Amino acid sequence: MPALTFNKVSKTFGDHSVINAFNADIHDGEFLVLLGPSGCGKSTLLRMIAGLSDITSGDLLFDGSVANDWEPKKRGVAFVFQTYALYPHMTVRENIAFPLVMDAFRKWYHLPIVNIVARHRLMKRADIAERTLSIARQLELEPLLDRRPASLSGGQRQRVALARALVRNPDLYLLDEPLSNLDAKLRTQMRSEISALHHKVGKTFVYVTHDQVEAMTMATRIIVMNKGIVQQVDTPDEIYDHPANTFVARFVGSPPMNLIPASVNNDALQLSGKLAVDHAAPFPSRRHMTFGVRPEKLSLHPAGEGRLPAQVAVVERLGAETVIGCRLMTGEEHNDQRLLEHDLVFVRVSGNPKVKIGELCSLDYQANDVLWFDIDNGDRIFLDQE
Amino acid sequence: MMTPRRLAMKALRYTLIGTLVVLAGFPVYWMAATALNVNSQLYGTGQVAWPQLQHLPDLVTELGNVPIGRWLFNTLLIASGGTILSLTLGALAGYALSRFKFHGRGLVGFLLFMTQVVPEALILVPLYAMFITFGLLNSLWGLILANVGFSLPVACFVLKGAMDAVPYEIEESAIIDNCPRFSVLTMIILPLIMPSIAAAAVVSFFAGWNEFLFASTFLMDRALWPASVGLASFVGQYETPMSAVLGAALVFSLPAIVFFLLIQRKIVAGLTAGAVKG
Repeated sequence: MPALTFNKVSKTFGDHSVINAFNADIHDGEFLVLLGPSGCGKSTLLRMIAGLSDITSGDLLFDGSVANDWEPKKRGVAFVFQTYALYPHMTVRENIAFPLVMDAFRKWYHLPIVNIVARHRLMKRADIAERTLSIARQLELEPLLDRRPASLSGGQRQRVALARALVRNPDLYLLDEPLSNLDAKLRTQMRSEISALHHKVGKTFVYVTHDQVEAMTMATRIIVMNKGIVQQVDTPDEIYDHPANTFVARFVGSPPMNLIPASVNNDALQLSGKLAVDHAAPFPSRRHMTFGVRPEKLSLHPAGEGRLPAQVAVVERLGAETVIGCRLMTGEEHNDQRLLEHDLVFVRVSGNPKVKIGELCSLDYQANDVLWFDIDNGDRIFLDQE
Repeated sequence: MMTPRRLAMKALRYTLIGTLVVLAGFPVYWMAATALNVNSQLYGTGQVAWPQLQHLPDLVTELGNVPIGRWLFNTLLIASGGTILSLTLGALAGYALSRFKFHGRGLVGFLLFMTQVVPEALILVPLYAMFITFGLLNSLWGLILANVGFSLPVACFVLKGAMDAVPYEIEESAIIDNCPRFSVLTMIILPLIMPSIAAAAVVSFFAGWNEFLFASTFLMDRALWPASVGLASFVGQYETPMSAVLGAALVFSLPAIVFFLLIQRKIVAGLTAGAVKG
């Protein structure tokens, strides 16, 4: 079974480095998600696993064997593409059966014209026909078997692509943003279906996405990447609760973690420049750092009751909960002409509180919910290691 | 219920289409009408504007005196042989140019383009010398090769353009599914670009079908002539049997018209391929 190891794997296109000394292990049977913004190299990494892209340096090991130069077929992987990559001139049945037909092809079957005859004959072979039908039933595609991809909806096409991946029963499934072309409702449905599928087949899934909700809901482990460099490898809970750096803290979570510049003046903590806070707990012994707290760990209070005076700037009512964006009252907020939200502090509260934009309020937090980050490189600061 | 304005527009449209059909079809009709006229009438003022079917037996007898069937067969061989060769090599070259990065790829494209710039007449003499060396003179295969030299680059460009439009993912998906490169081309790519293949086939076929210059230069044996050279041989120093020439031309045109009608739908799809987002 393919346990995968990346050993200082790098990929460059000319002078442009896409992946830089990537180290990671992928365990047998896990649902590993490669998460990162567009252009961070996650799809390139997936293509390198499949053998569709060369490795510039380093080693990719399949079960301990260096597989850098292995042909895709030797790797025994199935790949689900973002665009589904179905064969438009073939029916759904022919699409699903294609990997089986190719496995059954003898060398001389590949001759032109012979291949057409051979493909039609093999499609009728009992084992191939039965396996195709069985997979189509599993994914509820049986009524669509004789239709062409052009006449299917996005969700149906996605299921055909999954069926084509499943039919050969490979050990490793590679999925490259397979849900990104679907609408929100269908995406939620397919998310559950893919998770259920992983439990059912029990094989290794490597799933690429830039959507942190997909990563958090489906993964057993997540690799967060940025600019070709691994930022953190851990379980979804750990990544959410204990991000390794400010990039992970910002990238995972919606709204993202509040990251406020902090400084220490005469042993007193000051947030966002001049806002003195009675922190009442230890904090890093350095002059400048970043104060991080998740929106749901902040509490909203009437003005004067919390430690952080603020003014409501944005209210997003989501039904079961409300996300409120506040501007901290540092004394300089009237000079702040910035309109963008990235300087706001977000609070997530349940229900539908009666708050209005412009209203004065205050925020508060528990000291043990605060995470500290290096102001320069963004790395997490652990108080017990200082 | 159609409004008078829409009715008028429709009538205008049909009138325009009808006029164009008459303009396009008239030469063919005139060819048939002339073929079934008497030569003496054709050179005088008494030509009848409609076909005179009573002259059909005379025309058949006259055409029976020349090996028109053989000439037609030769033309068919030259046109279809050139088409098959151009499409086969054009597909392979087009795939390589479309999908692989190699040194000199730009140069290959440039040289292929250059073949279209050089006039046929310019290379006639060098080609003649080469054909003598290689023993290809007075051979239909030699003529097919010479024609392919001109139709292959066109086929290559047309097919490369069509292959460029086929998403890489479809090809990569086939490779993951254990399909070797050659089968990716024959089983996946080529079926997807059928309209462009049809368009390239028409260009290659008609280039071979209408070819005259190389055929009249390289083929000395009357039995090897294609119909184009055969037709030209009707023209005499003192007399040209006009009805026989146009009768032969009619016979010569029919297979080409049938070929075109058979694949015209595919060609239109090929010409408009990629014009809109699929």
